[in-house]
Amino acid sequence: MSHANGGHPSSSAGAGATDRGGSSQRLDIVEGARPMFGPGSQFDELFNDPRWALAMIRATVLEAAHPQIGAALIDNSTFVAHPWRRLRNTLLSLQRMFGADDHVRLREAARLNRLHARLNGTDARNRPYDAMDPGARAWVVATLFESTVTMCRLSGQPLEQAVMERLYGEFRAFLAALGGEPGHLPYTLNEFWPYYDRVVEEELENTDAMRIILYKLFDHLPAPPLLSGLPTLWATGRAVAGPVIGAITVASLPEPFRRRAGLPEVPGTQTLMQGAYLAVGLARFLPDNWTRAEGIADLLALSPESDDPRARTVTALADRMKRAGALLRLITPLPSSLQPMAQTGTHRSAQEFFHEVLDQTGDGYLDWPDLAAMARELSSRLDLDEPEETRLYNAYAHWWRELQADLDTDGDGRISAQEYSTAVPSLAGPALIRVAEVLFDVTDKDGNQSIDADEYRALFQTAFHRDTTGAYGTYTRSAFVKEFLSFMSGRQRSTPYDPLLTEA
Amino acid sequence: MIDIIEAARAAGVEWLSLYAFSTENWRRPSAEVDFLMHLVRRVVRKHAPLLHARGIRCRFLGATDPRIPQSLARDFADLMTLTSNSRGMTLTVAFDHGGRRDIVEAARSLIHSGIPADAVTEQTFAAHLPFPDTPDVDLVIRTSGEQRISNFMLWQVAYAEWVFPPVLWPDFRAPHFLQCLHTYQQRERRFGGVLPNQNGEP
Repeated sequence: MSHANGGHPSSSAGAGATDRGGSSQRLDIVEGARPMFGPGSQFDELFNDPRWALAMIRATVLEAAHPQIGAALIDNSTFVAHPWRRLRNTLLSLQRMFGADDHVRLREAARLNRLHARLNGTDARNRPYDAMDPGARAWVVATLFESTVTMCRLSGQPLEQAVMERLYGEFRAFLAALGGEPGHLPYTLNEFWPYYDRVVEEELENTDAMRIILYKLFDHLPAPPLLSGLPTLWATGRAVAGPVIGAITVASLPEPFRRRAGLPEVPGTQTLMQGAYLAVGLARFLPDNWTRAEGIADLLALSPESDDPRARTVTALADRMKRAGALLRLITPLPSSLQPMAQTGTHRSAQEFFHEVLDQTGDGYLDWPDLAAMARELSSRLDLDEPEETRLYNAYAHWWRELQADLDTDGDGRISAQEYSTAVPSLAGPALIRVAEVLFDVTDKDGNQSIDADEYRALFQTAFHRDTTGAYGTYTRSAFVKEFLSFMSGRQRSTPYDPLLTEA
Repeated sequence: MIDIIEAARAAGVEWLSLYAFSTENWRRPSAEVDFLMHLVRRVVRKHAPLLHARGIRCRFLGATDPRIPQSLARDFADLMTLTSNSRGMTLTVAFDHGGRRDIVEAARSLIHSGIPADAVTEQTFAAHLPFPDTPDVDLVIRTSGEQRISNFMLWQVAYAEWVFPPVLWPDFRAPHFLQCLHTYQQRERRFGGVLPNQNGEP
């Protein structure tokens, strides 16, 4: 096992009692020491703990309260419009970073770095932000570590000192694997707590991003794909659970920060919060497979038609859900008056298309981060490396400039739903065709000028199923470009792009 | 209509198709079309639980036109979803259907899937029609004394027997249906040749 910053002896602090001597320049090869990553590591033991869900939410809130991270989230993140997709991407990424395979880790680190290098700008108060800022990156890792420790403490099973130190070492190694400068996260656990308290007291703010996560996201959380056929059921459950999750999270935040950010103190929530952590903690005694974090997120996000081996079970479950939903809708009495007949089925309105597809960040405007989010999602799906990834981003950037020139009539730099729908959009300009062509090139991995079954699957993760709109066997360049354009400009529904870009 | 469905099921018919609305029907006055759409929606919703309980698998052939109201399209989809696991009779409702269009769609689908021209046979072609599991039609009942095909399932009716009862469709009931079945059983089906054993004969 090797390391991104291999040879930095201080990085091994806390990796295990036997690793203290510094006799080896290699990090974790000392006989008897536990591995830093993969099975046997401390992280691996905790990763599937169901309490992680609460800890992750808490960590995300603490990250969003950091001004730089908050600004980056507000501008670029799709978590409001597509929280389930984002959750799955995050868990997958953590799993790759903490897995046993060094090659996978290096590749994922490079991918994350490329992704974050594209996220920078200035916030609403004109302060610059940069997702590659070493301090901000260290803080993300710090919140993940601290929330894990806190989750154990709050549920009445605090970690022992040695375990905590080992875990801290793993998180530092995680930051190091990302290429972070080691100095930004203190070397030892003893130095960590003052650092953490100082950031909480001095740097965190009541940011927009934090408020959105706490109050808006849980109230408006869209249904995960599995439950998307039952909007009423989902809304009912969410109306109860949403505010509770928000309150639990607020109650678990550090007291000095709650005070300074003016977060409400609701009587009884401390008890509720500890009860919740305890109750979720007890779920650890359920059979292993029931509580694997990424498994659950995957199942919720798994499209029933995908070719994943588990899809059969999910399909069966989703089918039952769908049939129940269908029956419910069919037996609901109709209003007696005639329904308006204007709505159409296969085309969506310009407004719908704007909100379902174009506005990926869900802020009501079409802006570069929306298109960047599409490029990001496609890159992740296709597992692109350089230089393909940059080609795809460049094509999107080019398209964005074309859109801006054509549609931004009030010149505020972004495109409102109004501007979009009044322009009677002619999106299929040369730049969009270029996007389609680049997408074809990067999907066509073997370069045989047609997209065959495997490549098609990689892009859409869906099983083959014929419907009346056409069979998807192989795609020639022109057929592919044509279908992409008809989705992006003709606003055709029921193409494979729908699950890719519209699903929550 | 539900009357006929029940009669067919009881008589052991496994595949029943009804022609509800053709692509040409869009040319009717819009008030009439609107009324018809609303009526269909009521009928679908009224009978959905019964169709489900009887184990009748329902599907809609055609039903792609954007002029179909979204609410109706939703009900169609719901009924198909609800009964998708039923294994009794399969009821195909041809709605906004056109036989020629289906054939064109199949041709398009064949070309999309890149099958070489020489490999196209009647079987491969049929596999690209909508609902390719639909067998050849045995009997077509054309009511109201009309004697036209009207662009109905052109591919599937190649060897069908036809009967033309004079009774109008709104008056067509179970006894009429059974009478048509009886007429069919008297026919000698040869499929262009001479077959020793026929479907439905002792």
